[in-house]
Amino acid sequence: MKMKKMLTLLATLTLTLSITACGTSNSTTNNAEPAPAPAANNTVTEAPAQEEAVVEEGLQPEEGATLIVWESREERAFTDEIAKQFEEKYGIPVKVEEVAATDQVTKLTQDGPSGLGADIVMFPHDNLGRAAEAGLLLTNEVLAEETIANNTPASIQGVTFNGELYGYPRAAETYALFYNKELVTEVPQSFDDVIEFSKTFTDKSKNRYGIMWETGNMYFNYPFIASGGGYIFGDNGTNKDDIGINSEGALLGLQTYVKLKEVLPVKSGDITPDIKRSLFNVGDIAMDITGPWELAGYKEALGDKLGIAPIPTIDGKPAISLSGIKAWYINSFTQYPNAAQLFAQFASSKDAQLLLNEKVGSIPTNNEALASDQINNDPFVAGFAQQVINSQPMPTIAEMGNVWSPVNAALPEIWDNGKEPKEAMDKAAQQIKDLNDGATE
Amino acid sequence: MDRYRNKATIMSLIFMGFGQIYNRQFIKGLIYLLIEAYAIIYFSSNLGRALWGIVTLGETPRTKVNGVFVDADHSIILLIKSLITILFLIIFIIIYIINVRDARKIAEKREQGVQANRFLQSIRYVLDYKFAQALLTLPAVGILFFTIMPIIFMVMLAFTNYSSPNHIPPFKLVDWVGFNTFKDLISLKTWSHTFYGVLTWTIIWAVLSTVTTYFGGLLVALLINQKGIRFKGFWRTILIIPYAIPQLISLLVMRNMFNGQFGPINQYITKYFGYFGLGGLPWLTDPFWAKVTVIIVNMWVGIPVSMILIMGVLTTIPRDMYEAAEVDGASNYQKFRIVTLPMVLFSTAPILIMQFAGNINNFNAIFLLTSGNPVVGDYQYAGATDLLVTWLYKLTLDQNKYNMASAVGIIIFLIIASFSIYNYRRTKSFKEEDMIQ
Repeated sequence: MKMKKMLTLLATLTLTLSITACGTSNSTTNNAEPAPAPAANNTVTEAPAQEEAVVEEGLQPEEGATLIVWESREERAFTDEIAKQFEEKYGIPVKVEEVAATDQVTKLTQDGPSGLGADIVMFPHDNLGRAAEAGLLLTNEVLAEETIANNTPASIQGVTFNGELYGYPRAAETYALFYNKELVTEVPQSFDDVIEFSKTFTDKSKNRYGIMWETGNMYFNYPFIASGGGYIFGDNGTNKDDIGINSEGALLGLQTYVKLKEVLPVKSGDITPDIKRSLFNVGDIAMDITGPWELAGYKEALGDKLGIAPIPTIDGKPAISLSGIKAWYINSFTQYPNAAQLFAQFASSKDAQLLLNEKVGSIPTNNEALASDQINNDPFVAGFAQQVINSQPMPTIAEMGNVWSPVNAALPEIWDNGKEPKEAMDKAAQQIKDLNDGATE
Repeated sequence: MDRYRNKATIMSLIFMGFGQIYNRQFIKGLIYLLIEAYAIIYFSSNLGRALWGIVTLGETPRTKVNGVFVDADHSIILLIKSLITILFLIIFIIIYIINVRDARKIAEKREQGVQANRFLQSIRYVLDYKFAQALLTLPAVGILFFTIMPIIFMVMLAFTNYSSPNHIPPFKLVDWVGFNTFKDLISLKTWSHTFYGVLTWTIIWAVLSTVTTYFGGLLVALLINQKGIRFKGFWRTILIIPYAIPQLISLLVMRNMFNGQFGPINQYITKYFGYFGLGGLPWLTDPFWAKVTVIIVNMWVGIPVSMILIMGVLTTIPRDMYEAAEVDGASNYQKFRIVTLPMVLFSTAPILIMQFAGNINNFNAIFLLTSGNPVVGDYQYAGATDLLVTWLYKLTLDQNKYNMASAVGIIIFLIIASFSIYNYRRTKSFKEEDMIQ
């Protein structure tokens, strides 16, 4: 019954809003009057000179603008600070609401059209396709040149969809090898080294393991798929009909994955982030493959003993990880597009990214920030930065949403039940195909 | 003698309130007049669009012209607004019928020479004789818009193609697809395989969880009620604790306790029973054992409720029955089988069926303990321990397959409704039955 109540609530909410909100918006839509748009929108690519002029004048925020921003709990400390600075500078009040990064697009799908959505949202770029195809986002046009000039090419590629720039990148995210310097004297170069080391360290009865990572989650296991030449979608992640998780190269890399079972004899379902974290903190795990969101906690627990290195090689090839670009996006239903753009610009600037690094431990995408002392003198971020070079951005197409579930079901089959990688991955690929085709019916 | 009634009826039919004015009830007539006038204004601007909206679900999606968004039809909002307008229309028609009948009734009274009520008298009449109806009008309208309308809306979704990624407004339109969603659910291999698998487990779960908690509760209640047991209150308290702790807390703790590698339960087993070759069990990671785990944990949560219930019933069993049984030389087991069990079952059978219906939708027990995991490779967004209701949750909130979720929801409703109706009838038949033969 709980579900029904929630849905009822949702329906009534949208209903009440549609009554109130549509009363005002209908008058504009019926006369086909475009919503207030950024001044330079109509001179898109025709006259770059003119556009620069506009940028120089600067965007003027709308009268009486107020902004709502969605931010995940982990990074809220940063956004609260930025919102305060923004308010001081422009006098525009900003309200921060907590929404998990991966839930934001789903929530915006419901709340955007009914006028409840935040003006500025933030999510990893693999959700971009879904959001852009549903028409939920404004493209980044007025500040496009500035954004492109200031950020790394990979991050720009991540926030671009169908050739249009949408996002304002603020951080790059991938995962790397966290290790405990006390236990690991020599950083393993390849997974064969990992296996060798683990044989000396792992003791199942004492719950000590040489290495641990979430073996049932595609995000962390992508190196095994990609390093040998496998991929998710072909043509740089844009061709939904070319699925490469069961290609020759992928199956080759997965052999290493299967080999690792002997040094980590734990069911994938038993490895939860919480348990992994607590074991690493007390030194029962020597190595952990995870992302920068764990950095602050691990620093506190291990202090100087913490080291970060790129992921070990697989069959002599560098491990290719999945990277996510976290970026600000602007809700296309916002009433204050100019103010929202100002905020996105402000909150993704060099200073903001450095602040984010300081508060959360992220990797900036801003070129100047990357070159700054704060980042270069940070051994942790340096370890990540090396891994970022060998990373591929997640595909942005909407079909990416169909990939996670089947692969996350196939990996435990291989890991727990000893299924042949080929068999499990063929099935997952078939499922993804079915979902893609079912979606286009 | 129908000088008045037909005239009044026809006049009220022509325009609300005319009949009342003809009956010299000016204020009441004026109120009806105003209602109709407002309704004409409202419907003339809305009704056409509402009907168009509910039939077509919009024709032009939101588009982008020269980089500027132009809002047009949002299918889902159109659907809701159309639904509201149509509900208003139904209410209006009901008021219209009331008005005609009222005019006719008053006219009949006038024919019999009774003076029509003045306005104040009418109000007093309503307050004195129609008080309940008058008082319930407002809540009824509230229920119509806040309960019935959303339910109708959700049922309607099952007949559309409202799903991610290609039919999510505002950039895309949603269309009516008739029974296609249900057809897909039953005929498309990936969907049907998941659906039958999840449905089968849901039924097994409902039966097992109901039976285990009920008979577990019975056992515990009988044990505590034995003559030789001391500290009865203490045992009762101990056993009620699992029910008193919020499941959100206790089940999430259980989740960690049952962790196959690091959970205390397996650690304990390997530590103390390792000699006998007993390793830990894959409590949450093996499809079969995960099912066992949810049943066991659900017993821990559910037994207290049955226990309290059955203890209450046990106190109502007349003592002389047991005395008679003892005189006949019945053993303890015979006393239980012939006296206690039938009496308890007789009083609690309806509740047993209710618990069964409730367990079909036992969202908490599954979602908090296993989240439906372990994942099953060939299921569509579902795991081995997912019930229909948790699967529906995943379809809606994680995958945005609203139409499929709605179809599954309707099926759950049909299953539970049939059980509840059966249950209701059973209780009636029970009430008319004599005691056990």
